[in-house]
Amino acid sequence: MRTVKGCGIAGLLGLAILVASASTVNAGEPTLGDPRAMTFPPVEFSPPEPERVVLENGLVVYLLEDHELPLVSVTATMRTGSWLDPTDKIGLASMTGAVMRTGGGGKWSAEQVDEELERFAGDLSIGIGRQAGSASLDVLSKDLDRGLDIFAGLIRQPAFESARLELAKLQAIEGIRRRQDNPGSIVGREFAKMLYGPAHPSARESSIESIKRLTRDDLVAFHGTTIHPNGMILGVTGDFKKADMLASLRKVFGDWQKGVVPALKISDVLERERARPVVSYVDKDTSQTHLRVGHLSIKESDPDYVALAIANDILGGSSFRSRLFNDVRTKRGLAYSVGSRLSVGMHDQGVWLMRAETKLVSTQEVIGRFVANIERMRSELVTDQELAEAKEAYVNSFVFSFASSSAIVGRLVELEYDGLPKNFLQQLRDKVMKLKKEDVLAAAKKHLRPDRLKIMAVGSGEALPKALSTFGEVNEIKLGPEG
Amino acid sequence: MKTQPSLVPGEVHLPWGRLSRLVAHISHASEVRFTNCALHASRFTICSVVMALSLVFHVNASSGASPSFADRVIEHRLANGLTVLMVERHQIPVVSINITFAVGGINEQVGQTGIAHLYEHMAFKGTRIVGTTDYEKEKPILDELAIVGTELDQREREVAAKEGGALADDRTAVESLQKRFLALQAQAAQYVVGNEMALMYQRHGGVGLNASTGKDLTRYMISLPSNRLPLWAAIESDRMANPVLREFYKERGVVMEERRLRNDDSPNGLLFETFTSAAFRAHGYGIPTIGWGSDILSLTPAATEAFFKTYYGPNRATIALVGDINPQETIALIERTFGRIPAAPPAPSLVTVEPEQRGERRVEVEFDAEPAIVIGYHKPTLGHPDDDVCDVIDAVLSDGLTSRLHQKLVREKRLAVSVGSDASHPGVRAPNLFIITATPLAPHTTAEVESAIYEEVERLKQEPVSAQELEKVLNNLDADLVRGLRSNSGLASQLALYQALAGDWRYILTSRDKVAKVTAADVQRVAAQYFTRSNRTVAVLVKKSLSKSVTAMSGNEVQP
Repeated sequence: MRTVKGCGIAGLLGLAILVASASTVNAGEPTLGDPRAMTFPPVEFSPPEPERVVLENGLVVYLLEDHELPLVSVTATMRTGSWLDPTDKIGLASMTGAVMRTGGGGKWSAEQVDEELERFAGDLSIGIGRQAGSASLDVLSKDLDRGLDIFAGLIRQPAFESARLELAKLQAIEGIRRRQDNPGSIVGREFAKMLYGPAHPSARESSIESIKRLTRDDLVAFHGTTIHPNGMILGVTGDFKKADMLASLRKVFGDWQKGVVPALKISDVLERERARPVVSYVDKDTSQTHLRVGHLSIKESDPDYVALAIANDILGGSSFRSRLFNDVRTKRGLAYSVGSRLSVGMHDQGVWLMRAETKLVSTQEVIGRFVANIERMRSELVTDQELAEAKEAYVNSFVFSFASSSAIVGRLVELEYDGLPKNFLQQLRDKVMKLKKEDVLAAAKKHLRPDRLKIMAVGSGEALPKALSTFGEVNEIKLGPEG
Repeated sequence: MKTQPSLVPGEVHLPWGRLSRLVAHISHASEVRFTNCALHASRFTICSVVMALSLVFHVNASSGASPSFADRVIEHRLANGLTVLMVERHQIPVVSINITFAVGGINEQVGQTGIAHLYEHMAFKGTRIVGTTDYEKEKPILDELAIVGTELDQREREVAAKEGGALADDRTAVESLQKRFLALQAQAAQYVVGNEMALMYQRHGGVGLNASTGKDLTRYMISLPSNRLPLWAAIESDRMANPVLREFYKERGVVMEERRLRNDDSPNGLLFETFTSAAFRAHGYGIPTIGWGSDILSLTPAATEAFFKTYYGPNRATIALVGDINPQETIALIERTFGRIPAAPPAPSLVTVEPEQRGERRVEVEFDAEPAIVIGYHKPTLGHPDDDVCDVIDAVLSDGLTSRLHQKLVREKRLAVSVGSDASHPGVRAPNLFIITATPLAPHTTAEVESAIYEEVERLKQEPVSAQELEKVLNNLDADLVRGLRSNSGLASQLALYQALAGDWRYILTSRDKVAKVTAADVQRVAAQYFTRSNRTVAVLVKKSLSKSVTAMSGNEVQP
């Protein structure tokens, strides 16, 4: 599965003033009051507005000053990703990101980068995920220029020193060798492959062979063809003066020439595959069955997104408040970690899933509860109370999306990266507030499909396939030593 | 400091996150949480996982941090002994609150391990007001359920002990108790309003609701829009005074699943459990915080309630609030809510002292997973000057890419894929362990990694650490201190943590100054004194051999 970007609807809802159900305040109550009867006025808060500047070479910069602490944080989001990996070199993007960080760059050798950063306690990271690359720099404000010089050097002119590449390859191979150690890791990866297919950019995995094949030239080429100033968005927050910061950024990034930025495009899974229910398991010596149950879902731009997100919230997305938590954990005591998740983005089909870990003998019961709870979502309206609670939780926790300058800027960067309008947040918020029980039911009927469920289980013993057989024909997945 | 397994192809899954300096109880191997928040995080819900900040905030004039920071901490002590720490921060209308009780696994008795953690789960079940539709009717049923459940547990243990020898009468008795038990459980369930406390917090915009139990402390956290503080005070003062242990047996089942998830099915969870229990043979630090499975299954409502009464008085609690608050109003609110709770009598003091280790201990854990190793040395804890020296050694050995173990084992010799250390495993209220962890890079073995680690340990004894290394340690500590101030929840956590552990939140500042005074000679002396063969415990994760079945299948023999 791809990484889920850390921004919720709640996070996307713009710079609104918060409204809650509200009236009187009980603050003056002199005793241990009944918390159930308490009401409060809405939280009013207008978060600061970051500034957006575009440099001549197309580099976009969001800036927000925050002088409370003597720290500066810079993030870079880059239009690259492992979706661009050639099929015989899966792992190239990830390796490029890793060695951009460790292999030296600009006027700095790899060793100098490490020494210098750790001398002044600067944090610097670079990584390339499935749909984007990201880098970050976090320094005390007095060290900003030293930090920026290294940061820009590694992003623009990574040296990819051979010894560091060799080390990164060995580490990647060891990571592959250890993929089958944890049942939780196995079930997540196998489930993604089950949904998208093992060769799809949203699920495919590197192999020892594909890593061994990578050369320094491959990394240089991947970096050169995919990372450009006009494909990068910077988010800058902290203790600086805007004009000085822009001058510093121009100094290190200003003379970087534009290039051709790859347009992010990931193909959809064929409808025939998408609709097909599958039940599979991996035999591993464990005390629990590790379960993922779900199917592919919509994109964030889908008109049903908000209704489905609220349906999922009520079903299993909201932890304590959700039906699955109450049913499987609280009432039945069958799992510690149980819930559902709707992970959607703009660029590939989203995933909707339910998850739990439960002792072998409860496997069938837990899956049975999953199915029963979906059926209930599809056949009955949610209660007025459930919908009200979901809306209130969402509106009242909204302020936490602005809990830091970096959260505010980060959100705008993500929206721009995904090609979403700045007022997208506002649009979603309005939809949530207007949502009716009937909308939730319609979304659940259309998008939560028991007839399409894909079930992945990791567990032990002959009893597991028997427990699963109630839900369809069971396939065993045999893992190779490297998955 | 927990790292979720990453799914990025080619990325190395490090079995241990960066172990935090000093903050021992946050070490992942010994801490258990009420709910694994990250697992529920979605794009839709906000789920702020309270981070274990690596120690620290400090206000060091030379680093340029606001020099008045220490002055911004407001302290208040209630007549019942409750300690309140506050920091005003008005940029955003939110507040983060951390309630920390000086109780944890260290306070448990033999046969009742896991009770501190089970109580922490039960603390989410409500009170006489919250979580019930009618407590008066519910109470007698809960009382009877506890009696029947306790008897049932006992009878079942007896039958199990007799194995095949159990009489038909015994089994009949168990069956009838089971019937009665289930009927009572169903009756009690009629009055339950499930997860009502959590629901109220969520409705009012609360995020990051969670709790954690460690060897030393048990902590409860929440962040709220700041005008909801009266709601928080009503809920939490009620929970501190009048918890009701409803849904007890179901929650015991949840905790068993948590144990399976964290320890039984996790190679590193099991490795740490085995390692720590080998290192401590007498002291409670050797017991996994989550408890031994058989103990969890025999915990009773009566024992759990008694544990609460003994250890959860306001006099053992610290509340830290950071955010958009008015200290005067906050104190008044806390006085008229928590102030009504009577102080608890002093809890029994800790008795057992770990005897001196007289010889190396080695243990193995077999698992269907690639190898790993943990090495630990007994050492004194917080308050002893050598503890600060160990913090410096910890940073020199494993903090960052230029640290000694990383440079030698990972980069130069390429024996390990990752290394780590921690100066305070698994807690700090009692003498603890300095641990070093490593994950070998195949085909290198744990034995090769182990001897390379000992070379570095010997080097600490033979050569003085350089001035640059010491300077780097301090620079990073100072920067971490400033970074630790960034989030309300992180700061609240730090303040409550040190107040509860060291008796004074200012320990954050004084420990920095003690670290600054550590010399190269101190490092050599401490390394020579504690890092000895006879004082160490070594645990190795060994790949469970599949060779048995492979051998059986070889020679074209086909098993039926």
